[in-house]
Amino acid sequence: MSQENTNYLEIVTKGIWKENPVAYQVLGICSALAVTVKMSTAIVMGIALTLVTAFSGLLISSLRKRIPSNIRIIAELAIIASMVIVIDQVLKAFFYDISKQLSIFVGLIITNCIVLGRAEAFALANKPLASFFDGIGNGLGYSLVLVSVAFLRELLGSGKFFGFTIIPQAAYDIGYQNMGLMVLAPGAFFIIGLLVWLKNSLPGISKEER
Amino acid sequence: MSDPTDKNSKKNVIVFSLILSVICSLLITVSAVGLKDFQDANMKLDKRINILKAVNLITENKPGKTQINNLYEQHIKEVVVDRHGEILDTPASDSLQLYFYQEKEQIKGYIIPINTQGLWGKIQGYLAFETDGQTVLGFSVFSHSETPGLGGEIESAWFTKNFEGKKILNSQDKFVSVGVAKGKVSNLPEDKRAHFVDGISGATLTGNYLSEGIEKTLIKYDKISVSFRQKQLKPKNMNTKAKP
Repeated sequence: MSQENTNYLEIVTKGIWKENPVAYQVLGICSALAVTVKMSTAIVMGIALTLVTAFSGLLISSLRKRIPSNIRIIAELAIIASMVIVIDQVLKAFFYDISKQLSIFVGLIITNCIVLGRAEAFALANKPLASFFDGIGNGLGYSLVLVSVAFLRELLGSGKFFGFTIIPQAAYDIGYQNMGLMVLAPGAFFIIGLLVWLKNSLPGISKEER
Repeated sequence: MSDPTDKNSKKNVIVFSLILSVICSLLITVSAVGLKDFQDANMKLDKRINILKAVNLITENKPGKTQINNLYEQHIKEVVVDRHGEILDTPASDSLQLYFYQEKEQIKGYIIPINTQGLWGKIQGYLAFETDGQTVLGFSVFSHSETPGLGGEIESAWFTKNFEGKKILNSQDKFVSVGVAKGKVSNLPEDKRAHFVDGISGATLTGNYLSEGIEKTLIKYDKISVSFRQKQLKPKNMNTKAKP
């Protein structure tokens, strides 16, 4: 049993760090550009995506012996999309305030390459529980990148942290200016690029390991 | 492991996709239809909240459900008007929805529903005016599908607050509408500042769509604003014609 537990832990940490979906697999860049202007949206998106990757992994993995391989992508998409829509409907009915914040992410989640990418690469070849943890690991890894990019973008772009201004007015008075570029999508590209470079030059991953 | 050739046989592909599509569509239909009543109730309440927000009766902190309904029934009156600004008893095909904001039976302003195309989907909101028929009392966004953090900022308080006090008429009393500036209002020429609000960086298109939608809607409701400017609509409504 403890043997299995360590395995799951390894699957999770692999997703968070070693095979981080954004920095290593370069998946999910599109949404990472869109929702990283502010910390709050980045965290919401991170949590929502982690849940979706985990449960879509679980579902698809339990169906993996039945899904015909030549229509597997359509089948995966149908399962993921229906799941997200049903959850959204339930939220709309019973947790309206949460759903108002989340509904807007639904489109971004269904089309997020990480969800489909993990279903393809992991869930189809592994057991349901392992796929569940793989989803959690990848979701957390994605959230980690999102939050760090959002932290830099919000700080440099608007001088704020979680919506609170932290750069003192005095700094603006002596000529400090917010970086307009950081608020735009290219700003995220630069930061993600630098992050990928930083991560791949750190120990724990090297070309040989691939 | 079941036989892989069997899993991929033509028959199995067809059967699997049929079953999958039936299950998925059933799930979605059941959840959409079965939960509709709850969703509609939530939506109705949310509409009321946003109408109240447009006239600044609700600020950031939301009161409870009963309080919202009380406030709404006290202060908001739903009416239907035609294109000439006449209040109708029964809605006609080309009639327009309008809300009066009243304080102790006295009309303090009117609220126009904004329903326009955004960058990714519909933007719905409410624009409230004072009884002079040209000064914006407030603005609120009820639903939209713009990108969170970019265009999605149109629903946040810092953006909607900027609409307060803007004019839809210029100094020559000509209609100019209110719009979203590209960048900050303070960078605009002096005579334009009263008709624009600060734009959202990274969401120029959302701003353009919103400006366009507000202008179109205001043109449609122009007769109503005109009659407010001429102080005509007020007494007429005060007498009898209420919504059935």
